[in-house]
Amino acid sequence: MTLTIYGATLSRAARVLWMAKELGLDFRSVQISPDDTHVPELLRVNPNGRIPAIDDGGVLLFESLAINLYLLKKHGGPLLPDNISDEGRMVQWSFWAMTELEGPLVQLLLNVIRPETISPADVAAATEKLPHVLRVLEGALTGREYLLGSAFTGADLNVASVLSYLKTIVNYDFGSFPNISAWTSRCLGRPAFSAAAAVTAS
Amino acid sequence: MALTIYGIPTSRALRILWLANELGLDFKYVPVDFSGGSRQPEFMKLNPNGHVPVIDDDGLILWESLACNLYLIKKHGGPLLPKNLADEGRALQWSFWVMTEVEKAALSLLRKLVYPADIADAEVAAARGKLVPAFSVLNGALMGKDCLLGTEFTIADLNVAAVLAWLKIVKYDFSAIPNVEAWLTRCLARPAYVAAKATK
Repeated sequence: MTLTIYGATLSRAARVLWMAKELGLDFRSVQISPDDTHVPELLRVNPNGRIPAIDDGGVLLFESLAINLYLLKKHGGPLLPDNISDEGRMVQWSFWAMTELEGPLVQLLLNVIRPETISPADVAAATEKLPHVLRVLEGALTGREYLLGSAFTGADLNVASVLSYLKTIVNYDFGSFPNISAWTSRCLGRPAFSAAAAVTAS
Repeated sequence: MALTIYGIPTSRALRILWLANELGLDFKYVPVDFSGGSRQPEFMKLNPNGHVPVIDDDGLILWESLACNLYLIKKHGGPLLPKNLADEGRALQWSFWVMTEVEKAALSLLRKLVYPADIADAEVAAARGKLVPAFSVLNGALMGKDCLLGTEFTIADLNVAAVLAWLKIVKYDFSAIPNVEAWLTRCLARPAYVAAKATK
């Protein structure tokens, strides 16, 4: 069995690379840029022409957070919740990261890395919306080290991997969100996060 | 054991009501709407995002419609549950895919129908443009298959079809994607979907 992860290290593929490093998996990295996704090698694995995608011994999957949940269930370990309620919460937070958090976050990210592609009105709308979204996460982290309790799980990895650009690229002011600030530092301080950021083609 | 489902059938709660009917679950139905009810302080204690649906399953509070469905199918099992890890991965993939690639655009078209003054023509055009490549992928995935994971209707089909149901309301033209059209018609003809729409 071999796992191949498609997608540049500085892209949504970072989420999957982080999970692969947490799980200690052997894998091959095919570095495909977010600007060059309509190449046959990727379209075979993901007809949507988006990264990341994986080929796990013939199992082809796309959607970054779905890939992470699949890899975690397959390989188990401390990041996998040990009961169905916590597994439900992990899946809930993973969807929440995509439906509530990622939209406004990407607008603010683009405003930094590709300002010519985004309108001031979109930036303003995202800036207005994001605190409402973050308030939910801030509340969920009150009195807890991690989303499901005292241990780092797939729920934290999936949400923090989406949130990470707010910290690393946008330099978002988390002043009103001390729980998120501390939690993000804990999550992104993990050795597997740093190891994932250093992945090169293999 | 008691399951409560919050949200009216004309909201995203329909997705969960459909699955609850497929599974034959007993549940309590609390008709919270999305135009005020979901922003009431009492409701926001259940879901601080202020959205329906929410479930309370014996004290476990969950939101995000498709996550609730993936939880309920895992808990109760049966023919809609994928039979192996690869298919479970595919069910997750399609559930995320429909939220990231389809839902926002489909909602724009639905809102244009219901609140035409609120949605600019440019937004409608952008939404239509986004759906074309997404549905081309779905049409390809259904090539030579009755259902997304093969021959059996599973949670992957339910979660995707429950979102695409909005496009039936707006009479979206599916003629260029016949596999999607035939599959969606089959999915939405299921008695459990019809029963869910009539939830009172």
